[in-house]
Amino acid sequence: MGRVLLVVLLAVIPGLAWSQSSQFGVRGLGLPGRELGTHALGSGGAFGLFDSESSLNPAAVAAVQTLTSVFTASQAFRTVENPAGTASTRDTRFPHLMVAGPLRNTGLAFGFSYSGYTDRDFSIASTNTAELRGIPVLVTDSFSSRGGLSDLRVAVAYRLQDRWTFGGGLHLITGSNRLETRRTFDDPSYLRSQQRAEIAYGGAGLSGGIIRQMGTRFAMAALARWDGRVEVERDSTRAGTVDLPFTFGLGLRWHPDRHLDLAAQGLARTWSAANSDLIEQGGVGAENTLEVAIGGEFTPDLERPYRRPLRFGARYGVLPFPLIPGTHPREYGVSVGSGMRFAQQRAGIDLALEHVWRSEGVYSERGFVLTVGVSVRP
Amino acid sequence: MRVWYLPLAGLLLLGGCQEKLTTPGDCPALCPGGQLQVFDEVLNPIVGADSTFTGYVKPPAAPALLVSNGLRGYEERAVLRFPARPDSVSVRDTLRAYAIDSVTMAFNLVARDTNTTGLQLLVYRLPRFIDSTSSYAQLDPAFVPENLISAVPIPDTLNAGGVRAVLLGADLARVALSPADSGVLALGIRLDAPTFTGVRLGASAAGNGGVYVTYATLDVPDTGTARLRSFPLVATFNSSLPAVPEVVDSTLLTVGGSPASRSMIRFEVPARIRDSATVVRATLELTPVAPITGLPTDPALLIARGVIADLGAKSPVQSNFGVGLDTIPEGTSGTVDVEIVRMLQQVWLGTGRPPALVLSLTPELEAASFSRPVFYSTRAADPAVRPRLRISYVPSFPFENP
Repeated sequence: MGRVLLVVLLAVIPGLAWSQSSQFGVRGLGLPGRELGTHALGSGGAFGLFDSESSLNPAAVAAVQTLTSVFTASQAFRTVENPAGTASTRDTRFPHLMVAGPLRNTGLAFGFSYSGYTDRDFSIASTNTAELRGIPVLVTDSFSSRGGLSDLRVAVAYRLQDRWTFGGGLHLITGSNRLETRRTFDDPSYLRSQQRAEIAYGGAGLSGGIIRQMGTRFAMAALARWDGRVEVERDSTRAGTVDLPFTFGLGLRWHPDRHLDLAAQGLARTWSAANSDLIEQGGVGAENTLEVAIGGEFTPDLERPYRRPLRFGARYGVLPFPLIPGTHPREYGVSVGSGMRFAQQRAGIDLALEHVWRSEGVYSERGFVLTVGVSVRP
Repeated sequence: MRVWYLPLAGLLLLGGCQEKLTTPGDCPALCPGGQLQVFDEVLNPIVGADSTFTGYVKPPAAPALLVSNGLRGYEERAVLRFPARPDSVSVRDTLRAYAIDSVTMAFNLVARDTNTTGLQLLVYRLPRFIDSTSSYAQLDPAFVPENLISAVPIPDTLNAGGVRAVLLGADLARVALSPADSGVLALGIRLDAPTFTGVRLGASAAGNGGVYVTYATLDVPDTGTARLRSFPLVATFNSSLPAVPEVVDSTLLTVGGSPASRSMIRFEVPARIRDSATVVRATLELTPVAPITGLPTDPALLIARGVIADLGAKSPVQSNFGVGLDTIPEGTSGTVDVEIVRMLQQVWLGTGRPPALVLSLTPELEAASFSRPVFYSTRAADPAVRPRLRISYVPSFPFENP
């Protein structure tokens, strides 16, 4: 019955079809990505610093038992509200790809991953009346962006005496925005105006992480990451640089019961480093962010722990790029998830469903993000 | 497989993979870079660099013949000359004479004033020597009642189409061809109407010129039968003859007329517009020297074409795209606006071609319209009546870099 309910739920959700790509990705570098696998997303991101299938903490790669590849796809449905109106839109993303595996007899593990660093996909449309040659003319403006920044990471982790795990990562941060603005006129005497620009980014960063197992029930993880700065080119001409943030993270994991695993984590990013660069280049600015998450995983069948565990979690965060200077966009989310491994545990599918709210003054949106992760262990 | 529902769920998820990204825009919060702005600017032509050139289409090559009874203050007549009609036919290697039963003369009405009734074409017999050098005055003596072949009424309900006259019996003598005529028939056409008006008739250049058909009976004694033959002849020469030749004022911009005139106007587009702006509207504003005359209900069609290279009167023009058109009804006295934004976008800007244009009537009206618009040029003393180009443009959008 539960399986049928899950299938029905997944079938119905696209029909409900709230949403769009977030309006909170319009400013600055866009909406930050989370670098999490589906497993961690199902628990609100609380296990992100411990999850070997996420790209957050390079030390977590050490938990990979065998060569593993993970592919993640997500479909988001949101309702957006702002003073200009309400819209229901949706988007599809492939936010995370990872290949990781151990190096035999060395205690080392490596990982290569691609994840979304920021997402700047959006389209905005508005209708106004402009006075042209002394006559009011109805005009329709649209502004769209496709692209964002991606994080390519190479990570190495080393496990020391089953207590300590250290990891380091090299990040290449690259991507582009294809921007287009268009105006059409209700008066056929006027032709459509269409202008385009392509903005390209390139930068590099480093990350280091640690996981400390304390007894059988407790673990702690910590992360420090430096992303340096990205060079910005507009239409192949250098336009400036944008400083990227330091990231500091701390995670705790508690195993109070054989069936239950709980975790909490906090991530702080110094996005205000980008503030002056963004303002200098015409943007609104940026501010530091904090994200906290708490969640758990319930394993009903200890003999087969990968068979339909129940994951749950909640998170709260501040977004780095306000729509209006001086305001603070915020984000809340609750999530559930599950998964299954099959083919002698060589393949697996994980699902996560998150309900997200974002708001900043009169601007708000809410919706669902459905994520599917496919993992293969050949 | 007990996990059947997971692949199915994945398929359902992919089935929902559609993008719909558009949200309502609320500026300035959701408008990075701000909003587009449209600016207006008037570009004046280069003073003294606009000219009228005449002689592009001469009356014998016009796509229509102009016939009026004083529409423009003077009469205009059409003349036609047909090729020689043979006086015998070869049957079984023997040239045999024929007897003419009837003759039909057909003309194609291209346009008329549909508000005027009671029109008829008066068809006269002319000397066979008419050609492009013949003038109205030279041929005027032939337009006498003695040479009148037929009066061809134009039905009041006919706006366009064929009209014809059929000659039978004694009337055939009016088109009889003597040996001195060498088989060549030449006709002249006047218009008879209760008021001053005009008609445009089809011409050989357009493939719808006058036709002259002779129906004859051929007696072939060897077979004891009479055979019917027809000799259709299409005019090989036709032209319009105005009573008063047109004069072109070189200080003005003349378009149309017969022979056809075209006007060239040169501009200088500022670099800030040429290089980085998006022109969304461009209106060429022309001020007529006098109300534009013409045939009511048959308006002129003005066309503006960009030039591919500025070679003066022989500048090749871009006719396939970037063309501006404007209909000019008879009696227009206010400013004539020709929208040429596509010319700016497709011909002038970003192509390296000279910002110049050629004004003319559309090809089917050159030397074939009663309208002959004359506009003030940059030489006009009053700057307000000089030609000008009013453009609306969007400057380069200040995209935020990140």
